[in-house]
Amino acid sequence: MVAMTKKTPAVGSRGFDLASVLEPWVYVSPALLLIGAIMLVPLGIGISYAFRDIVLLNPFSGGFVGLAHFVEIWNDPNFWNALSNTLEWTVASVLLQFVFGLILALLLNQPFRGRMVVQALVFIPWAVPSFLSGLNWAWLFNPVAGPLPHWFVAFGVMAKPDNILSDPVHAIWGPIAANVWWGIPFYAITLLASLQSIPLEIYEAAEIDGAGPLRRFWSITLPFLAPTIAITLLLRAVWIANAADLIVVMTRGGPADSTQILASYIFTQAFQRLDFGYASALATVLLLLLLAYSVIVVFVRQLLIRTD
Amino acid sequence: MIGRLILAAAASALMLSQAMADTTLKLVEVITSPERTVTLKEIVAKFEASNPGTKVEITSLPWGQAFEKFATMVSAGDTPDVVEMPDRWLSLYANNGMLESLEPYLAKWEHTAELNDRTLQMGRFVKNTAYALPYGFYLRALFYNKKLFAQAGIAAPPKTLDEFADDAKKISAIPGKYGYCLRGGPGGLNGWMMFGAIMNGSNAFFKEDGTSTMTDPNFVKGFTFLTDLYKNGYAPKDAVNWGFNEIVSGFYSGTCAMLDQDPDALISVAERMNKDDYDVTPFPKGPAGKSFPTIGYGSWSMFANSKNKDLAWKLIATLDGPEGNVAWNKKIGALPIYKTAESDPFYADPKFKGWFAELGDKDVTPLVMPTYLEEFAYFADSVAVKSSQQALLGQVSPADLAKQWGDLLTKAQQKFLAKK
Amino acid sequence: MPPMLYNLRKPAYWTFHYALIAIYVAVALFPLFWMFKVSVTPNQLLYTEGVRLWPSSTTATHYLSVIEHTDFPLFFRNSVIVSGLTSLFTTLVAAGTGYSFSRFVYRGKLWIVGLLLVTQMFPLVMIIAPIFKLFAPLGLTNSLLGLIIIYTTYNVPFAAFLMQSFFDAVPKELEEAAMIDGATRFGALRRIILPLTLPGIAATLGFVFTAAWSELLFALMLNSSTQATTFPVGLLSFVSKFSVDFGQMTAAGVLALLPVCIFFFLIQRHLVQGLTAGAVKG
Repeated sequence: MVAMTKKTPAVGSRGFDLASVLEPWVYVSPALLLIGAIMLVPLGIGISYAFRDIVLLNPFSGGFVGLAHFVEIWNDPNFWNALSNTLEWTVASVLLQFVFGLILALLLNQPFRGRMVVQALVFIPWAVPSFLSGLNWAWLFNPVAGPLPHWFVAFGVMAKPDNILSDPVHAIWGPIAANVWWGIPFYAITLLASLQSIPLEIYEAAEIDGAGPLRRFWSITLPFLAPTIAITLLLRAVWIANAADLIVVMTRGGPADSTQILASYIFTQAFQRLDFGYASALATVLLLLLLAYSVIVVFVRQLLIRTD
Repeated sequence: MIGRLILAAAASALMLSQAMADTTLKLVEVITSPERTVTLKEIVAKFEASNPGTKVEITSLPWGQAFEKFATMVSAGDTPDVVEMPDRWLSLYANNGMLESLEPYLAKWEHTAELNDRTLQMGRFVKNTAYALPYGFYLRALFYNKKLFAQAGIAAPPKTLDEFADDAKKISAIPGKYGYCLRGGPGGLNGWMMFGAIMNGSNAFFKEDGTSTMTDPNFVKGFTFLTDLYKNGYAPKDAVNWGFNEIVSGFYSGTCAMLDQDPDALISVAERMNKDDYDVTPFPKGPAGKSFPTIGYGSWSMFANSKNKDLAWKLIATLDGPEGNVAWNKKIGALPIYKTAESDPFYADPKFKGWFAELGDKDVTPLVMPTYLEEFAYFADSVAVKSSQQALLGQVSPADLAKQWGDLLTKAQQKFLAKK
Repeated sequence: MPPMLYNLRKPAYWTFHYALIAIYVAVALFPLFWMFKVSVTPNQLLYTEGVRLWPSSTTATHYLSVIEHTDFPLFFRNSVIVSGLTSLFTTLVAAGTGYSFSRFVYRGKLWIVGLLLVTQMFPLVMIIAPIFKLFAPLGLTNSLLGLIIIYTTYNVPFAAFLMQSFFDAVPKELEEAAMIDGATRFGALRRIILPLTLPGIAATLGFVFTAAWSELLFALMLNSSTQATTFPVGLLSFVSKFSVDFGQMTAAGVLALLPVCIFFFLIQRHLVQGLTAGAVKG
């Protein structure tokens, strides 16, 4: 039954009550503790490496080098290459995931026979571990053991059945394809949820007023979805920019570093060259870039929030 | 399944209580595969039997990530007593003072005299001290597909690089087939060095003053040889990304007809190809009439901070002792370290004649990579892969590639010489 | 529920609609089908018949080897333990956090939200070495517990936002009414609010389970002993120096996918439902 009675402040009174000021913090404390200990402390250490010379296994490294790594980054052509690849990778993945996810959400928003089953089926790719999706798609693109190159030839897209992963110009589309396949459900789920919360009366009113389907989409659906779109784009872009596993599994950043993104470059610097100082500096740069991006998106979102 | 779990739990509880009184040695293997681990466990079991009160805890790292995993473990203080040490890692760990010198143990070991010269030579590569005891050698030779050769009308495998290029051309004329299984991806450096050295007619990487021989025009010819092979389509277009697994599977699937590899590839190939369809021959010679197939090795090392050094040495001695070693090498496909082992019936298999012919030929000198340079591992695994891919794709000319590599290696070598 | 709108649609529209749906389903399932196909292809036919849609003869040997001759059942079990406990702990912690965001307005809330977002922003590679150094003396390396702690921490932010939107869908008035009647906030939360958000909780559990199930990097770097290996790392062990055993790897992949796909299949509806209600609050 009821545990104990607690005096709640009368509705409307804003008198100082320590218990109620602390209350929200109590609920948040486990999360803060965990994140503080497990993420922030190591993050702090990790960032500090960026200012030191840390070469794993070299007992004589560890000295403070100030901004030397950052200067090195500025002059490192591999960094700029990785940065531009990261942009290409992130923008293409996010856009394609969004567009296809939106279409899917729109399709699922209409009730039809078998909708429940279809919905469950098309969301399954999300449950597949991303690296397994990468291996799978690498297999699909391989002309020796997969069907895709041969289909490309049949459709006239390619002259000979080659593996696009070996083509420095097109290789990045391999991991992008795997990423889009895997990521569509995320968008579809969140957009579908938003779509289903749009009151139907608005649509009905618009249709009665003579607005066609396209017009309804532009002036009702999109504005309603805008805040959700903004947040999901933000989160996904950040995750994708940081996700090195698909690329490492499918192309290892090659051929000739044409698919090397910042996240995978950080991995190679850290674990192949064992230069944790440089890798941490790179990661700090990536972190700053993503922070800047997030601030912009949140700002834009604030502008878009409709007041009901 | 549940029964097994309970049994396992009970067994480990029992062992835990017993282990309190035992010494436990930690052994890490890195070139891991299921069959190998089984063989390793067998040898280790014999060791445990003859040294009661000792337990060996084996950790098997997946080869693809072994380098980074082991480095992470070691940097956090999780060090083993004995570790499998690939030749390319030796310089890194030995030069940072992490390995124990095996010289005092070797001086007293009864089998030291039976080791062939190469074994001790390679184990002493760093600072002329034996920081590792090799267990077997990986020597390159040429695998070729007899069926494809017959199809292309070629009677015998190539003896010179010119014949090699010619044969590659003829076989690539067959639709869907290619002459050479080129390793353009990770681990491909050996191939570039080999072709370069053979064309250059010398196995020296550096001149007296430390400058690299790579910029010599003949060395560059070796690089051009490879880029031409790729450009002309004598190797599959996909090969620019190919690593060990892909070239071997390219060979046994019959896609490409010639493969340069070590005896350990023989195991995979023998499993999947009919033995009449392929054979192994010494690697072709260059214009100077000489050949320089690359040689590498795997070894066992002891960590300097081991708390049971004598016991750890006994483990290494068991792994590298005559019966342990031959059994091990038969399973993993490396050439043995003992002078007498070559007469073992296992190595009398006709497929091994290619390698033994190389070892007996005075015009064939195994090419030893400069793994004593600390920077070499990173160079081989990252820089070389990227730049060689650029060369294959035509983004960089072979001459520029040679200059790039030459400059890097010269710097490393001169730094090394200065420290001596 | 469907209003008159939908009955006005023309047949041509529906054909188009169904065609698109069919394409989506086909694209979603084809790679999985292919993985299954490879897992039942005998080794000899793997390369020669690589491109056929179905091999000329099928075999169950890969599945049998994976189950009987490898440590895969152990890896599978470890993954179940880690993912299950992670989803439980995460949901608990995230529920508290999400509730706090949903019900209270207080100084510092924005900072906490920002903090949670920031944790999603840096490449995890950067903290592997520090975490390793932190965990090793505590005995948390080579252990499932270490992984559970890390996974929980990493998943709490997104799970908290999820839980927040589920709580947002339940009117505040419900607890306030209960509290006026004498209940504590926590009691009201437990007895009234939580039961109403059960679908949301199920969805969060499923979401986190899926995320923990597929994690590779930390599982690889922090654990080296076979006893503590989870299935993604186990899958990598099929790639040895000598060969890539695709048959076994895809068989193991299919086996590992089954539970998580089924789980996700069952909870995805709740995810949509729960998010729908909370989505209005944005």
